[in-house]
Amino acid sequence: MSDSLPKGTGQGSGDGGAGVNRRDFLKLAGLAGAAAGGAGLGAFGYAAGQDPNSYLGWQNEEGASLVFNKKRYEVDEPTYLKVGPTSRPDARVEQIFERRGRFMREYMRLRGGGGRGFPGMGGQPPQQGQGSGASAEGAQSTPSSGPVTPESFSEPLRSYYRSNPQDLDLDILNSDELQPMNRADSAEYGDEFILAEAWSAAMGAVGPGPISGPPEVNDFPRGRGGTMPEPMKLVDPAKTAELIKAVSLQLGSTLVGITELNPDWVYGYPIRGRGFENLEEPLEIPDWWTYAIVVGTPMSWDPMYANPNYGTSNDAYSRSRIIATRVEAFIKALGYPARTHVPGTSYDLMVPPISIDAGLGEQGRNGIMITPEVGCNIRPAVITTNIPMATDKPIDIGVDDFCLHCKVCAEQCPSGAIPMGDKVEVRGYRRWKIDTAKCQNFWTSNLGNMGCRICVSVCPYTRKANWLHKTAMKVSANDPTGLTERLLTSMQKSFYPGPDPQDYFMPSLGGKNASYREPPWWLRTEDFIDLD
Amino acid sequence: MRIFDSGLFWFVEGILFVVVILAARAWAQDRGLPMPIWKWVLFLLWVALAGFTIAFVGTSFGEGEPVAATRGGLLFGLISIIAGVGLWRVLLAGTGSGGEDAVSEV
Repeated sequence: MSDSLPKGTGQGSGDGGAGVNRRDFLKLAGLAGAAAGGAGLGAFGYAAGQDPNSYLGWQNEEGASLVFNKKRYEVDEPTYLKVGPTSRPDARVEQIFERRGRFMREYMRLRGGGGRGFPGMGGQPPQQGQGSGASAEGAQSTPSSGPVTPESFSEPLRSYYRSNPQDLDLDILNSDELQPMNRADSAEYGDEFILAEAWSAAMGAVGPGPISGPPEVNDFPRGRGGTMPEPMKLVDPAKTAELIKAVSLQLGSTLVGITELNPDWVYGYPIRGRGFENLEEPLEIPDWWTYAIVVGTPMSWDPMYANPNYGTSNDAYSRSRIIATRVEAFIKALGYPARTHVPGTSYDLMVPPISIDAGLGEQGRNGIMITPEVGCNIRPAVITTNIPMATDKPIDIGVDDFCLHCKVCAEQCPSGAIPMGDKVEVRGYRRWKIDTAKCQNFWTSNLGNMGCRICVSVCPYTRKANWLHKTAMKVSANDPTGLTERLLTSMQKSFYPGPDPQDYFMPSLGGKNASYREPPWWLRTEDFIDLD
Repeated sequence: MRIFDSGLFWFVEGILFVVVILAARAWAQDRGLPMPIWKWVLFLLWVALAGFTIAFVGTSFGEGEPVAATRGGLLFGLISIIAGVGLWRVLLAGTGSGGEDAVSEV
């Protein structure tokens, strides 16, 4: 356009230079355009940063959270390695809630009772007649004030504590010191978390009831008159998988995947509340636990960033278990057996590795699964079934390499439960392993909602799904040199610093009740309740 | 807020971008600067960097991450300024003593 104009003598300047010629006007317009464009980008960025739609999992139930094309990252084998003979986990002692429940029952008996609180069970006492009860071999029935050793406990605790004496110390520390201290601090400093605790109680108020019978009873559908209906004839396993996924999304699941169930992930012994009569008998895997459908939802994002005291797992737990129970009902209505394994503790299996096998993500240094969509902010549930379905492949989005160098979660972990070192072999698999006893001891070392979840909040993958973080993750996933990972890790530590980990503790332990980020306005107790 | 989810926002941004490019072209012509393709590519890369910096700062503030906005703004802003100075020298290279002569020739 300007090529035809004489340079510097454009039309419109014929008044002796008092006006602006067209060429100069164009240049001025360019400057103005640059300023306006820049301002527009800044405003766009601000809106993108604030946009609640980038809080994945809370927009709608039409699969809108599936913002990441996983197809190109599919691999034939998951990124954890099988390195030796494998075995199934003994949930009675290796599942922290189950072990601590057993420990508390026997320890209180050893100490002559008087203890309060059962970590991991919402303060509820264990059911009578389950677990290692009074008849368990070797359990002592008389109060004792002597030293507590592994020999003081019945099997399987005795053998476990012999092999893991540090866990006995940590379990005793939790019972004798941390819980009483937590009660005292809660009474003195806990008021600021009233709304957070109310929010958690509200989200945990709705859920399916406990399983009432063993798998051969519970898992099967009941037709009219209590008879077992014939399974429907299905057209094609691939179409069935599509159907199950579509239904799961419609039911509110944020992510969904399907895998064949690896028996290594099923507990060697059952845990309480799952319909098994004898918890000391090995769990025989039913034939119909062929496939595992994994559904999951994120915790509400703003409270999640205010962990460890304002966030709650109950919101995602509640939603995921309701979704899983509904998926179970849907499959049963087609005439096939199905069984839900739902959070917080109603599982017969380990959910994270199954979720990884189903292609939802990879294991992170913090021991849990990291997904490309919502990072670690996912609470999955599993439905085991034998309805014929096509399965998904695991994915490799570079989490394995990223976690090798990042270590943000380990540095921020107040309990020191997340390893700074390398992976270790666990039951034949090379993987990250966290110290669950140290982890859970922190749960009683801070105030507010139960749990911690700081490793979820600080993970660089747990970010809003806006242009900035989506781009960063995609570049990182596609950079074979690893340079992007290093750069992003440095930026994460510099740009998104958290408090000193010591500050997360309650005051009696030298902390400040700190949270990773400030709570949302609607969880600030002092703004709504007169505490005076 | 919804304006940013619409095509209209990016349409307007596109118009502004075209105006900036035309103005840059006129400016280069008036100064007698040769602008081969590679110089345009460098210029566009710098515009992208500057735009990223601005959007990064805005996004971080919007996310409630003022530390990220400040530190990121300083880091990327500094990189943008240094790159801009470098680009300026590259654009003026081969035109004599750095541009003023070119202007006086017009």
